[in-house]
Amino acid sequence: MIDRGTEWFAPTTRAEAIALRAERRDEATIVAGGTFLGVLMNNGMIAPSAMIALRDVEEFKYVRVDGDLHIGAMTTHREIELHPLINRLWPSLSHMFSLVANPRIRNWATIGGVLADADYASDPPAMLIALNARAVVESRRGKREIPIEELILGAYHTAIADDELLVEVVVPAGTEKAVYRKFRTRSHEDRPCVSVAAARHDGKLRLAVGAVSPTPQMFPDICAIADGRSITSEMAADIGRSYADSIAPLDDARGSGAYRKRVIAVEVRRALEALAS
Amino acid sequence: MSGSRTSGTIKYAMDAAVDGMWHARILRSPFAHARIKRIDVSLVPDGVVVLTGEDTRDLNHYGCQIADETVLAQGEVRFAGDPVAAVAARTRREADEALVCIEVDYEELPAVFGAEAAVAPGAHLVHAQHNVSENDAAYFGIRPINGTNVCHKFQIRHGDIEAGFAEADVIVEETYRTDSAAHVPMEPHATLAWWEGDRLEIITGSQTPFNVRMDLAIIFGIDQEKVRVKCPPMGGSFGAKTFIRLEGIVAALARKAGRPVKMVLDRSEEWQTLNRHPATITVRIGAKKDGTLVAKKVTCLADTGAYADCGPGVAQKMGFASPGPYRIPNVWVDSSCVYTNTPPNGAYRGYGQMQSIWASERTMDLLADRLGIDPLTLRMQNLLREGDAYCTGEVMHDLQLEQCLAAAANAIGWHEGRKGKGLSLLIKGMQTPSRASIMLKHNGNGSYHIECATAEMGQGAHLAIRTMAAGMLGIDVRHVSISYPDTAISPYDTRTTSSRSTHMMSRALAEALKDLRLNGIDVGIGEVRDEGGLNPDTGQGIASSHWHQGAAGAIVELDDETGLVKVKHLHASVYAGKVVVRKAAEMQNEGSMIMGFGTAMFERIEIADGQVTNANLSDYSVPSIADLPKMTHDLIEVEGALVHGLGETALPPIPPAIGNALQTFGVRMTTLPMTPERVLAAIDLRDGRVA
Amino acid sequence: MKTTFSLNGQQVSVDTDAGDMLLHALRDELHLTSVRGTCGIGLCGTCTVIVDDKTTASCLIPVPMIAGADIRTIEGIGNDPVLQAFEDAQAFQCGFCTPAMILTTQQLLVENPAPSDDEIDAALAGNLCRCGCYFKIRDAAKLAATALAQRSGA
Repeated sequence: MIDRGTEWFAPTTRAEAIALRAERRDEATIVAGGTFLGVLMNNGMIAPSAMIALRDVEEFKYVRVDGDLHIGAMTTHREIELHPLINRLWPSLSHMFSLVANPRIRNWATIGGVLADADYASDPPAMLIALNARAVVESRRGKREIPIEELILGAYHTAIADDELLVEVVVPAGTEKAVYRKFRTRSHEDRPCVSVAAARHDGKLRLAVGAVSPTPQMFPDICAIADGRSITSEMAADIGRSYADSIAPLDDARGSGAYRKRVIAVEVRRALEALAS
Repeated sequence: MSGSRTSGTIKYAMDAAVDGMWHARILRSPFAHARIKRIDVSLVPDGVVVLTGEDTRDLNHYGCQIADETVLAQGEVRFAGDPVAAVAARTRREADEALVCIEVDYEELPAVFGAEAAVAPGAHLVHAQHNVSENDAAYFGIRPINGTNVCHKFQIRHGDIEAGFAEADVIVEETYRTDSAAHVPMEPHATLAWWEGDRLEIITGSQTPFNVRMDLAIIFGIDQEKVRVKCPPMGGSFGAKTFIRLEGIVAALARKAGRPVKMVLDRSEEWQTLNRHPATITVRIGAKKDGTLVAKKVTCLADTGAYADCGPGVAQKMGFASPGPYRIPNVWVDSSCVYTNTPPNGAYRGYGQMQSIWASERTMDLLADRLGIDPLTLRMQNLLREGDAYCTGEVMHDLQLEQCLAAAANAIGWHEGRKGKGLSLLIKGMQTPSRASIMLKHNGNGSYHIECATAEMGQGAHLAIRTMAAGMLGIDVRHVSISYPDTAISPYDTRTTSSRSTHMMSRALAEALKDLRLNGIDVGIGEVRDEGGLNPDTGQGIASSHWHQGAAGAIVELDDETGLVKVKHLHASVYAGKVVVRKAAEMQNEGSMIMGFGTAMFERIEIADGQVTNANLSDYSVPSIADLPKMTHDLIEVEGALVHGLGETALPPIPPAIGNALQTFGVRMTTLPMTPERVLAAIDLRDGRVA
Repeated sequence: MKTTFSLNGQQVSVDTDAGDMLLHALRDELHLTSVRGTCGIGLCGTCTVIVDDKTTASCLIPVPMIAGADIRTIEGIGNDPVLQAFEDAQAFQCGFCTPAMILTTQQLLVENPAPSDDEIDAALAGNLCRCGCYFKIRDAAKLAATALAQRSGA
């Protein structure tokens, strides 16, 4: 094979990685697990001239619980799925990760990577939004925290600046219960047609619908009617209808926008019924 | 043989390599229909061989049934994906990069999409004229209608259709549609070609070595003996690797490059190479109050895309399968193969049968509902029995339809309540006329070797043939070897399609053994020929020398709010005659059922303005191990019966069994696949909701 | 650039571009035609190899990502009970998906020596078999689990 001179950087420390990012900015593509990047490269959608691989940065690989859950950006889907503590304390999060693609992909795909990719049909963003999670991004300028709903700005578009790296995801304590429903219209291996993540957090409802728009859809005003009240089946149906009315879903091979609207009403209601049970 | 599959040492066409070979890629039209104004290859780097329409102008038109194809577009492209140019370079990446350097100016032309639009008066013509091919795959009376988009029209005229309907107490009519589907063999199309002087050598994944040889000889205007086609085992095919696919382009590139050239398609190109015919089928059926069928009128439109391929054959089979396995005194069928500006459609496991059985068997349940007769009873009452004449006039023998249907009904507990359950029944013809020959050689040490042109694509035909030979010779199967097809060595065989090989070769083998014993030498050659064929204007004659028979049952649950169907249990009962290799036979049934399940529930090529919009395995879904419902099946055997092919029989009855199960919820499905969205629309219709 | 790794227990080096995928290094440079790959998006499963005891879609992983790693393909599993179970169950037709199916099953049984049907399905769902040998593949996985349990018990 011919070496076309693509540059490859494999920093081993956090400081080195952040310095490289600042230096190369958008000229270099960040490689986390590589699975999404590989798809883009194989399809000729990108042809990076330089890549910064984070695989050797051990500082980005950890799961820590100090009340809140801290997940290093380079933690893989599979590690989250199988982590005993996450399984016990955030079972819906483990469950959701177990539904992403297949084990072969989950062995490599990372939590930082999936959020930075901001693909509309990915499972994790909606769930992380419902869990009130935030991303920690870091640059030489310092660190800042961004709620996941503000991190994803559009299809494949995030609020991460060109000198910043997503280094950690924080899932705060306080979730009473959470539910993830992945509605597939075709094979088990398919991505969702509609996904619904719902959580009760400090008495408040957070509900995000994924895979129907460029970004996960959450409507705090609609959720507010459940604040401090127990969810009745009537309320669940109302919230389902309101979500369906508020979203203009996209069309793809998994279903038309009109169909998705119908499913949103049903699946939101079902998620809320499961949350209430 | 099998050991090489688990160890990974088996070599497919994709793995074929010879010294000095280059790698080829195709530049394809982005437009569904356009005139090529200019092709500029001046930016292509030196050391890359480029082939355009200009280089292939001297080559002849070809096509297995209609001679409508050229190796590369000659001034006009007819579908988005039509090959415009091809390149060969030292590496695949260099070839990829060279493609981008070719500039083509197009002038877009009006295009026609959908068979119904293509047969409407005034529709733009995809081809001005239709010439029947000289390839022996054009084996039946092909009736093209010049000046239209119809490249073959097949008719059945049996009895008096008007009088038949006049006798009917109840008439049911419905129109059905089936979407296109992709074969998705795990191994993509792959071909390696080189020239030795004026002789062409080809290694290609193909079910049809002799047809490929014939078309290559036609293209290059050379004797068939100057073309040698070798077919290594395929990583699946399901009809995708029939007739000419890449062979013409690769051979022409190799000629220009003066060296061996190999091409392996990208997965995305598979959807631009060959798909399954979408069909529109209208069925009108009439019955007496007591359930006796009296008349059936069927119109089939098979959308063959921009090139006919074997579409005429598919339309013919769709046509003569559409009456179904029933005694009907008055039958009228029109089945047309229609050009449109979409990728070509061709052979696909079931070959037109799936589409027509979907329409025919759904109609049986609509009729049963109207008559207030149990669908099993209605079928039992009307099915063909020993000695009955089919609508083609041929007298039917060795029929096991009743047994197949009863087995399927029992397997799903039909008699313990019908809610959520459905049945279907079929007979399926085999390629007729048909010719098979085989060579059996004694190695002198008690072991034998077989040469035959039966291709191995995973269906297990080679093991079946070796097992049958071993049985006849009274030796262990390990002492019988077999070669892959090589037209320079293998005796002639029609092709490895239509579930014919195990059946035909079992008979040819018996002849070869007789020859070996009679002539007292070390080589025996056996040949069998089945004659037959249908008059294309009346549909009378011999449709099939041998009928595949099967039935299916389904149990489903329905989510009324989303239209999601959960298939709980599928059963197929298939008449096997005599099982040769049990596990392989079981896997043919299971594989057919799984493919039928995909076709029923979600497999669908989406085409917008002639562009396939889901040409990848994320947007085109195929069944995985996690999708399987409970699946059971029978291989029905009869003492003294001939070996029956099994490769396809269990696929076509699956979709209507599921559709009929949904009808018990009042959901009347007419379109495949039965996506949740379509099911929800049918639920809305049932409930009087307007979308 | 040069990348060194262990392939079936042997140290090997390949010279590729940093943007070339592991699949191409294995197939085109190291001539391992058991590693196939047909979809380019990690979905079909035929490019599966084991990297540091993890099933991996070799079509998606740039070569330098596996520098220093331990890579196993079907050529490296030798006379393995899982391979034998696939033979015994006749769990293949065309064989194109088979080496990857065996590697994935082997890795499943390392992680879960006695999987249920659902667990087998979850582990193998990302490996497509268009011939539809899935039922026999399930049989093979169970046969292999039994064989491995007997071996470790012996």
